[in-house]
Amino acid sequence: MNKSISRIFTLTKRNLKEIIRDPLSLIFTILLPLFMEILFYLIFHEMTAQFEMKYLAPGIVVFSQSFLTLFTGLIISVDRNTSFLTRLYVSKTKSYEFIFGYILSVIPIALVQSVLFFLVGGIFDASIFGLGMVLAILLSLVSSLFFIGVGILFGSICNEKSIGGVSSIIITGQSVLSGMWFPTEGLNQGMITLMKVLPFKNATDLMQNMIVGIDDVFKDFLLPLIIVLAYSVVIIIIAILAFRSKMKEK
Amino acid sequence: MIAIRTNNLRKEYKDVVAVKGLNLEIMEGELFSLLGVNGAGKTTTIKMLATLSKPTSGEAYIYDYNVEDDQDKIKELIDISMQETAIARKLTVEENIEFYAKLSGQSDEEIKETKNYVYNAFELDKVAKKQASKLSGGWQRKLSIALALVTKPKILFLDEPTLGLDVIARRELWKTIRDLKDKMTIILTTHYMEEAEALSDRIGIMKDGELLFVGTKEELYAKTNKQNVEEAFINIVSGGDLDE
Repeated sequence: MNKSISRIFTLTKRNLKEIIRDPLSLIFTILLPLFMEILFYLIFHEMTAQFEMKYLAPGIVVFSQSFLTLFTGLIISVDRNTSFLTRLYVSKTKSYEFIFGYILSVIPIALVQSVLFFLVGGIFDASIFGLGMVLAILLSLVSSLFFIGVGILFGSICNEKSIGGVSSIIITGQSVLSGMWFPTEGLNQGMITLMKVLPFKNATDLMQNMIVGIDDVFKDFLLPLIIVLAYSVVIIIIAILAFRSKMKEK
Repeated sequence: MIAIRTNNLRKEYKDVVAVKGLNLEIMEGELFSLLGVNGAGKTTTIKMLATLSKPTSGEAYIYDYNVEDDQDKIKELIDISMQETAIARKLTVEENIEFYAKLSGQSDEEIKETKNYVYNAFELDKVAKKQASKLSGGWQRKLSIALALVTKPKILFLDEPTLGLDVIARRELWKTIRDLKDKMTIILTTHYMEEAEALSDRIGIMKDGELLFVGTKEELYAKTNKQNVEEAFINIVSGGDLDE
């Protein structure tokens, strides 16, 4: 068991270094969302409630997490296509250790994202500081697992050339179906139902509700949490199966 | 002592038989070159021996360990350098070595020794602090092969180790491989006949998944009545049709 934990830690450290030493990952996971958070707040917050910091900051946290899919997928597909993983299969490392190594290396980035975007949000609107923000930061780990899981799945089945295009589905999904950039009132019922059953809006709502407050514990907290958690668990199980299947194909 | 033994080893993919009943023995300390044109079954054979691919039928043993049943034991004895340059690109050379050493369970003290051993064997100390992605192709390839030594294997599989290298880098690698010869058993696949000629104790020639010849260079020359490995290889693989 100790050897297994040591291998997971070694893989995690390596994966984290690979990701953070790529300037593009810093730009897309931190700088771009940060720029959008400040810009959209300054331009629009007096025009529409959508861009008040108590709604914008939680939305930006989940939006920034969608880029984790891209970078998790990228590192796995590159590792696969350069035979780096094949070489590691000759070691005693087990498939679940690889998966943990990938997940744990991205979690710190997700944590930095949520802490940073909430802190910056708090500079513009101090009312978002409080217990709700702490809970939102903790809950953001649940949605980050969903995006990381999708990244592992895409990385297991796509090559490094296609991973950008495929991941953009998730980034676009988070932008369009989260309801963070435009009000959902007035959308047709089909669209609203779709947004309710997919994880994007639920993840955003969960974060926002932690900041603005909960009226109905089930509707505002438990339901979105259960939906996001269910998607995260299911996608990680599928990702593990896809990764293991590729490992057998090696 | 026999380091590798196969008995009717066979590998089938959906509609292709990649290896057809391979019978082979490789002695401890030997440098054995496996030659063949593309699709001959060399890499598939290496992958089966390195526990990366499951045989369809037949058996293979690394020392007395079966490649299907004793994978963990075998993994302690072998390492592999793939055709592709398989390195952690954003890590420095030193970090790459430390990463592999830690993954194989070495202590800090052992990692220090390993670094010295690998630096000496490949002169990697010159570029130890450089990020792997910033090295030239030759140095990246050197690092990729060097990483296979980090675990100090008893058996080293080198799949096309000099593929894509310029002539100087290739010669440098030959020198390194020669220096390793006495320390471990090496199984090498290559397309470069002069490489097999310069390095091998024995040569195996594969075509369409079958082993057509196994023996020393001298035995190969005697069998084909040729004076170099390339001509002898062409003679065996083409059945004499392409002889000059």
